Amino acid sequence: MNHYEQKDTILHAENVSVSYGEKTIIKDINFLERDTVRPGKVQGQVIAFLGRSGRGKSTLFRVITGLNKPTTGHVLIPDSTKKPIDGKIPAKDVEEGDVGFVDQRYTLFRHKTVYQALTYAMRNSTLSKAEKNDKIMRYLVEWGLEKSKDQYPNELSGGQRQRTAILEQLLSSGHYIVMDEPFSGLDIGNILNVKTAFKLINESHDLNTIIFSTHDIELAVELADSLYVIGYPRNAEGKLETFGTILHHYDLKAMGIAWHDSFGAQHRDLAEEVKKALLAS
Amino acid sequence: MNFRSWFRPFEILKKEHNIALIVIWVVMVVGYWFVATSGEEKLFPPPEKVIAGLQALYGEGLVVHIASSLGLCLKATLISVVVSLFFAYLSPVPFMRPVAIGLSRMRYLPLTGITFYLAMMMHDARSMQVGVLVIFMSLYFITSLLGVIKDSPQEEIDHARSLKCSRWEVLWEVIVKGRFDYVIEVLRQNLAITWMMLVTVESILVAAGGLGVLIKNSDKFMNHGRIVALQLVILLVGLGIDWILNTTRKSLFRYSKI
Ligand SMILES: Nc1ncnc2c1ncn2[C@@H]1O[C@H](COP(=O)(O)OP(=O)(O)O)[C@@H](O)[C@H]1O
Ligand SMILES: [Mg+2]
Repeated sequence: MNHYEQKDTILHAENVSVSYGEKTIIKDINFLERDTVRPGKVQGQVIAFLGRSGRGKSTLFRVITGLNKPTTGHVLIPDSTKKPIDGKIPAKDVEEGDVGFVDQRYTLFRHKTVYQALTYAMRNSTLSKAEKNDKIMRYLVEWGLEKSKDQYPNELSGGQRQRTAILEQLLSSGHYIVMDEPFSGLDIGNILNVKTAFKLINESHDLNTIIFSTHDIELAVELADSLYVIGYPRNAEGKLETFGTILHHYDLKAMGIAWHDSFGAQHRDLAEEVKKALLAS
Repeated sequence: MNFRSWFRPFEILKKEHNIALIVIWVVMVVGYWFVATSGEEKLFPPPEKVIAGLQALYGEGLVVHIASSLGLCLKATLISVVVSLFFAYLSPVPFMRPVAIGLSRMRYLPLTGITFYLAMMMHDARSMQVGVLVIFMSLYFITSLLGVIKDSPQEEIDHARSLKCSRWEVLWEVIVKGRFDYVIEVLRQNLAITWMMLVTVESILVAAGGLGVLIKNSDKFMNHGRIVALQLVILLVGLGIDWILNTTRKSLFRYSKI
């Protein structure tokens, strides 16, 4: 049995909606995620968002990363610059830069080599130059990028670009990293690399939190400890609305199927259930 | 060798074939020139006359005039690059945006009006030439640079923002540093217009010398060989500048694939 405890709130969406003019894209988005603590283990959080195309996953992610302001509502994260009050860290609205973001196209600085990009990502770090170099080189080796370290983005493959983009965000020192469809367009080896990356991120700090979207339901069930289905809700007459919202939340920790190495019958059942939910939305 | 491939649309040829095609065309054009202008006197001068014209030009100090034109071009370009970059780089700042856009619209102003005011303001020919060129180059340059900035993908801007860049850092990294190769490319394209305008501007104000003055003098002589020789020289110098800029961009910025 996996023992775990839920501690402080790490991410809280409150009544989030986004509209462009008259068109509402997402509405009534509410969720709350807590820091998960497992005795004797460093355990981060992995949150998956599943939804059919156009249901507003990317739109929601742009709000979570602070790149866009929601039309209504708030996305709150703990304010690490403030002192705890009654043992609780005060919350603040997320701002750009608080949450790392790897977009669907793995965008990088076009004029920086892999090594330069990672150095730039660490520009605010207090480490010495030599320590930074050590850290970067260690990551490059670990992530299979040491041969590409002096290449520019246009000289990298999709998988290499993506790993560089993830590393940048990791080194930029936030605990949150949002990845929009990190598995799409990757070959089987690259998918394994990203899965390993998730594991590395997860086991390196308790507060590390990965939020990702995917169309691969099995992969989401396998990797996530919390899974949201985002889709069009049905109105009173049973007709589909045209804005996205959270339709289901599966807490895989509570279900006892998080952090498993094997994909068991329970995982398969959940995947089946999610599939039905997606088709109905 | 399969010559049929030379006539198949979208065919990609080997490098040697491409060079061969260029050589063939040059030989055909020059050959036509020789043949068509031989015999009785024609309006377009035969090659001998052009070569004679070139020698005459050389005697009149062609090299000095080329240097003078290049000097003027360089001076005007440097000033207008600085001015244009200043306004273009500040255009993402909402307060400065109308200024940049307004300046870019000024390119519809007629050349004569500006020349007129400059002539009243400045008294020596050289600074007036520089003034006219700078104003016109800058207006076109700002227009092109605004295009480059507008085409910078939002994803690159967001990528920088997500890495804790302040908005000024975003501007510096994504637009200024990240698109410097585009500035050279824009310069290269605008220089074609400048080079043409330079010769015109020089011929308006004779005092300072330059290739434009040589053209003006040729008109007086009605010496066709000389005129054609001069046109060729101007064309070749222009192409030379173009080549230098393109090579500079490619060798300085390995990532630059425009
Ligand atoms: N800037 C925008 N203006 C208007 N509509 C937009 C804008 N951005 C996204 N949308 C619309 O929002 C909807 C959701 O898009 P998106 O969040 O990308 O969905 P997903 O990532 O789930 O596929 C789509 O219908 C899209 O057309
Ligand atoms: Mg999307």
